[in-house]
Amino acid sequence: MTRKSGLAGFLGQRWAVLFLLLEVIVFSVIGEGFFSLNGVQIVLFYGTSLFLLATAETFVIVTGGIDLSVGFIMGFSAVVSAKLVAAMAVGGMDPLPAILIALVATLLIGLLPGLLSGFLVGWLKVTPFLATFATGGIVYGVSLLLTGGGETKGVPDLANVIGNSYFMYWAPGHGLSFFTRPEVVRGTRVLEIIPSMLVVTAVVVIAAAWVLNRTRFGRHAYAIGGNEDAAVRAGINIRRHYMVIYTASALFSTLAGLIYMLEYITGKPDAGTSYLLDSIVGVVIGGASLYGGAGTVWGTILGCLILSVLETGLRMAGVPTFDKFIAVGLILILAVLIDQFFPELIHKED
Amino acid sequence: MAEHALARESRGPALSVFGRNWAIFFLLLMFVVFVFSGRNFLTVANLQTVLYSACTSLLLAYAETFVIIARGIDLSVGYVMGFSTIVCAGVIRDLYATQFGVHWPAGAAIAVGIVAGLAASLACGLASGLLVARFRVPPFIATLGVLGVAYGFTLHASDGGFPIAFLPNVMTGIGNGYVYYYNPALHAHSFFGPPAGTTAQQIKDLVRLFPNSLILTLVCLVVLWHLLKNTRFGQHTYAIGGSLDAAVRAGIDTRRHLLQVYVLSALLSGIAGIVWVFQTGQGNFVPMGSNLELFAIAAVIIGGASLNGGKGRIISTLVGVFILGILANGLALSGVETFWRYIATGVILIVAIVVDQLFPDLF
Repeated sequence: MTRKSGLAGFLGQRWAVLFLLLEVIVFSVIGEGFFSLNGVQIVLFYGTSLFLLATAETFVIVTGGIDLSVGFIMGFSAVVSAKLVAAMAVGGMDPLPAILIALVATLLIGLLPGLLSGFLVGWLKVTPFLATFATGGIVYGVSLLLTGGGETKGVPDLANVIGNSYFMYWAPGHGLSFFTRPEVVRGTRVLEIIPSMLVVTAVVVIAAAWVLNRTRFGRHAYAIGGNEDAAVRAGINIRRHYMVIYTASALFSTLAGLIYMLEYITGKPDAGTSYLLDSIVGVVIGGASLYGGAGTVWGTILGCLILSVLETGLRMAGVPTFDKFIAVGLILILAVLIDQFFPELIHKED
Repeated sequence: MAEHALARESRGPALSVFGRNWAIFFLLLMFVVFVFSGRNFLTVANLQTVLYSACTSLLLAYAETFVIIARGIDLSVGYVMGFSTIVCAGVIRDLYATQFGVHWPAGAAIAVGIVAGLAASLACGLASGLLVARFRVPPFIATLGVLGVAYGFTLHASDGGFPIAFLPNVMTGIGNGYVYYYNPALHAHSFFGPPAGTTAQQIKDLVRLFPNSLILTLVCLVVLWHLLKNTRFGQHTYAIGGSLDAAVRAGIDTRRHLLQVYVLSALLSGIAGIVWVFQTGQGNFVPMGSNLELFAIAAVIIGGASLNGGKGRIISTLVGVFILGILANGLALSGVETFWRYIATGVILIVAIVVDQLFPDLF
């Protein structure tokens, strides 16, 4: 089985690219202010959580599994990090070290659900659907217990400053400045370019794409998804591999939760539940197969962009947001039908 | 299989019997614990509440049972239920209200509403069935797509999730009614309604037995049990789940059969939606995040079915639903925070799957 490199696989999904272009054109015409720097940044801002969760989902789907816990882990991470920051802030700690400690601690705690799912799938041979559902249920329950069903307040404002900062600012007379807003006269318009959290997301996604595409670990993931028996006979330690795959998935979801906490300075158990559907749809539109062995991170990002543009475009065009669900469902059905009728369009690697 | 058989023999017969029927033992154990820990758990009123609120979960789990035995999965059951709820309630409200100049009698409006709710769910079932059977789309994806579309239409029809109110009062009378009433003050008893002459003060002393929902639950139980166990439809469902190739070679029209399975699943979910309208007296949509489909799947799996198809029974699903139902009820009455329910469900699910692997011939 030879896999095309990321770019060729990307162009292999021509229909998805065309669909994205079509969407952009339609919304540019009907949506006020869609085709602008701001519009693009809103699309990408909405996309950050989705990109991370869908990347998590891609790792699992490539091995032929499915991860139903991504959204719950995201909520869990948002709750845990918000609780930790708030507790340390109440204890009188400076905001910056408090936030940093909370981020690192939550990243470690967030590995636990991944280890549980990986153990269930790898060692106990539990179907991924059920293993991750069980993990998701437990994690959701714990988040609800921690918050008592509500939101976690008391996160210092510094989190807001970090979470909603931009990579670059441009103001007349000040030139470019990075990460910190230039001190300008009140009322002067400052051009904000690329949200910082998007930079973080981009770095993580590029790293994930590299791991899946270029490393032995990634190749083994495709091998396991293509044929588990053959992978075992080829000497791949599939137990350990599943463990790492599900832990990586949990790590990406945890990161999404941390970004949520920084952006909204709160933690709530439901932070990620609405992304579960979108993340799976994004992966499938991106050309992955639920039977495993196919799919790329770049294809997934393309799929997520289609969803993110749809969401933002509909909102800017004044269409009720709940019509989005109809569109997402139809696009998903369309994607799989195209997959069935023109398999050569998507599964270039077969 | 040989390995498994060997493993089971070495465990001895007693353990094997326990392993195969662990769900029932677990249900009994849980029941006994809650009798001691729960306030008013072992009362006629509370046990009837459990039965009453299990009605919709049971219908969804029955729907899922057929699909899972046929080696599929239906992620849309909760949303088809919500869609049917909104369509049914919306039609009844519009016909019953005078806004269109025609004031239909309650009975006719309700009848048309039920038909409309069933038609809405039928459309969903046909969509997922055609996608799975004709176009060979993986069931997970096909039903996920239908989920999105059904959810969107549900939100659209309810203006973003507002409950549809102003339905005829007779609906909750039926949905929350009981078969048998006894008024101790008057020494009078009656069926399907309080005895004549019952005053408002006496209402809380009424003895009520057999919620109407229980009748529907029992009818569905018997009909579906018969359908799965004794008919050709049921046999073919097991055959397709066991091996699709073998089923095709045995001459089963698998396309038509799979279509029927998904339509049946959607119709049962639709009935659940209509029951929900009768029980709540309004068209309250089922919000995303209540994860009804996941609880339905969990109940089926805890009952002993396998996602690999070919295995599962209606009675086992019943046990699975009551494990989750009594868990929620018992925890609440024991003063435990309801959030533990999610954790407990996850843990029980893991236990169910692990036991299933240790004792492959469960049930």
